[in-house]
Amino acid sequence: MEKNHYDVMRRIILACMIGLPVLPFILALVIGYSYFTASIEDSTISSMKRIVGSHRHMIESFLRERRANLEFIHHSYTSEELSQPQKLHHIFNLLQKESNAFVDIGIFNEEGVHVAYHGPYKLTGKVYKEADWFTEVIKKGYYISDVFLGFRKVPHFIIAVAREEQGRKWVVRSTIDTYMFNNMVKKVRIGQTGEAYLLNAEGVFQTERRSGSSLMAKDSDYKKYHHAFNGTSSRDKVINSNESSPDASIRTFIETDAKGNEYLYATTWMKNKKWLLVVRQEKADAFNALSSAVSLIVLITICGGIIIVAVAFYLTDKIIDRMKKTDAEKSQLEDQLIRAHRLAELGQMSAGFAHEINNPLQIIKSEHSLIEMLLSDMKEEDHLKESESLTELNDSMDQIKLQIERCAKITQAILKFGRQNEVTIQEVDLRSFIPEITSMIAKKASVHGIDLKQDIAKDTPEIQGDPGQLQQVLLNLYNNALDAIVERHGAKHGKMIIKAEGNKNGKVEISVTDNGIGIDPEHQKNIFSPFFTTKTVGKGTGLGLSVCYGIIDNMGGTMKVSSQKDVGTTFTVSLPVG
Amino acid sequence: MEKMKMMLVDDEERFLSTTQKLLSKKGYDTLTATSGAEALGKLKTQNIHVVILDVKMPGMDGIETLNEIKQKFPLVEVIMLTGHATVESAVDGLKSGATDYLMKPADIDDLIRKAEEAFEKRQKLEEKIRLAQSRKFMKSPREILKETN
Repeated sequence: MEKNHYDVMRRIILACMIGLPVLPFILALVIGYSYFTASIEDSTISSMKRIVGSHRHMIESFLRERRANLEFIHHSYTSEELSQPQKLHHIFNLLQKESNAFVDIGIFNEEGVHVAYHGPYKLTGKVYKEADWFTEVIKKGYYISDVFLGFRKVPHFIIAVAREEQGRKWVVRSTIDTYMFNNMVKKVRIGQTGEAYLLNAEGVFQTERRSGSSLMAKDSDYKKYHHAFNGTSSRDKVINSNESSPDASIRTFIETDAKGNEYLYATTWMKNKKWLLVVRQEKADAFNALSSAVSLIVLITICGGIIIVAVAFYLTDKIIDRMKKTDAEKSQLEDQLIRAHRLAELGQMSAGFAHEINNPLQIIKSEHSLIEMLLSDMKEEDHLKESESLTELNDSMDQIKLQIERCAKITQAILKFGRQNEVTIQEVDLRSFIPEITSMIAKKASVHGIDLKQDIAKDTPEIQGDPGQLQQVLLNLYNNALDAIVERHGAKHGKMIIKAEGNKNGKVEISVTDNGIGIDPEHQKNIFSPFFTTKTVGKGTGLGLSVCYGIIDNMGGTMKVSSQKDVGTTFTVSLPVG
Repeated sequence: MEKMKMMLVDDEERFLSTTQKLLSKKGYDTLTATSGAEALGKLKTQNIHVVILDVKMPGMDGIETLNEIKQKFPLVEVIMLTGHATVESAVDGLKSGATDYLMKPADIDDLIRKAEEAFEKRQKLEEKIRLAQSRKFMKSPREILKETN
């Protein structure tokens, strides 16, 4: 029952001690984590967007410049001049100076006939009338193609510019160095896995991707971008979208590619939604700071959790221990209180009782005296003859007298025990007081061959108490010790040590140790109870130690006994320092 | 020489009668009283030298009776008989003018011894009074002479 109670208490305290700090701790971590995540994501995404924006700008400027170069040529030279191979060679050299991205240059008439060409391939004379790019350029005035193989069977893309001259349309076309363009687009570098590439509207790679994939291949994940674009996929999280101007906007989202890696994407349309610039970075890489933060948070959680739990267990154990101790002390105190109370009641009761006994005793004694007197009178007057009966009668009379004396002794002891006389409290210097008392029994001790020793510390503090009472206590202890020694050893080998010293707790301890007969363990419990005695009938009243106990208790002290049968006994009195 | 006259005061009648018998056998003239009031009444009418007074009695208790006796009959010697083995009640008695005290159960011989001592004291006191009185008579002629001078 008691143990159960402590277990319940322990559980409650433990739950409080762990729960209370853990709750705000976890809350702080979660809130911190979510804010930190949001902030990291925001900054990562915005930097990604910035990169995409500037990259697009760069590619667009490149294309614009190349177009401007061609337009410049168109404006500067007539179609006649351009049709001359030497002139074209000269112009191409000038063009190459402008940008070495130009691989070749070709002039086409309205019918799509390759009029003049300068470059690594032999393309002069070929007719492009049906080619998509040609119809497109005639229609719109300029054209930038997707990457295609063409007659050369090499992936390339072209920029073509058309101009009307005297009612006839002329087209200047140049091939852009795909290697160089590739490098330019690829140049973006973000973190470990960041990469940039171009896709056309069908999802065909216009530039190479660093993480692998060849030019002209179809991007298997292209559909997913569309999903993300249109917001139709519920699984994918569109981090940021600007629906109002999809062509100019930069979109960011997180997607899983065919290989199962999660990527953070940023895409933007270019060239009138013909090309899609994709910048992507592996999610783990992009949110690298986040993952290190997560590992830190996990570490903190584990360490903090362990510390909280350990401290909680430690403190709970301490508290429960303390509670147990306090409870034990409390019950001990209650026991003492009950005992003291019982002693006081017993004292009062027995005093009244003894007093009442004394009156009939007085009468018995008087009657006894009268009988004795009458007997002697009768003897003198020869009414009684010496006989065996008379001797027995006399013996019996003596016995009555003896028993009356015995009763008187008992009642006197009881009265002493129960009296509540005023005590005169004064300072008692034990260093001189104890030897004084010891000297009273020194004679008796030497008669019984007892080696009497005193060990009184020189710094024994003074105490407050009634010297008479203290003397009574000490003499009682001394006499008990002497009796115990005599009972065991007779008149040899007896040892008795009286010690006194101040201890740390502000108490003075006086101990009386003997090597006498010892006290049975079951008797030790009752040793301070009134009327408890192990002495032979008529020798002890059983009040001595209980009186001592009462006296010491009144002085605010305690009395203890430790004893071992046939080894010896130590009575220890501890009194508060005055 | 004057013979000692004692009075026993106690609420136990059997004690009174037995002790009276014992004392008379030993040749003492003894009166008894079962209460303080009765004792005071007997003191008025008879010349009693020593009173053996029980401390604890119903009605007027020993100490009250003692005070009354000492007030009205200062020359009467009182021995307190106490059931309490405490010195306190005895001391109270002695302070109030008791000559001595006896503890119950008291031995008859002790009682007689203490009574004799008290009686002796009483006699000495009476002797002194007599002496003082006779001196006064001795002095008076001189005083008369002085007066004439």
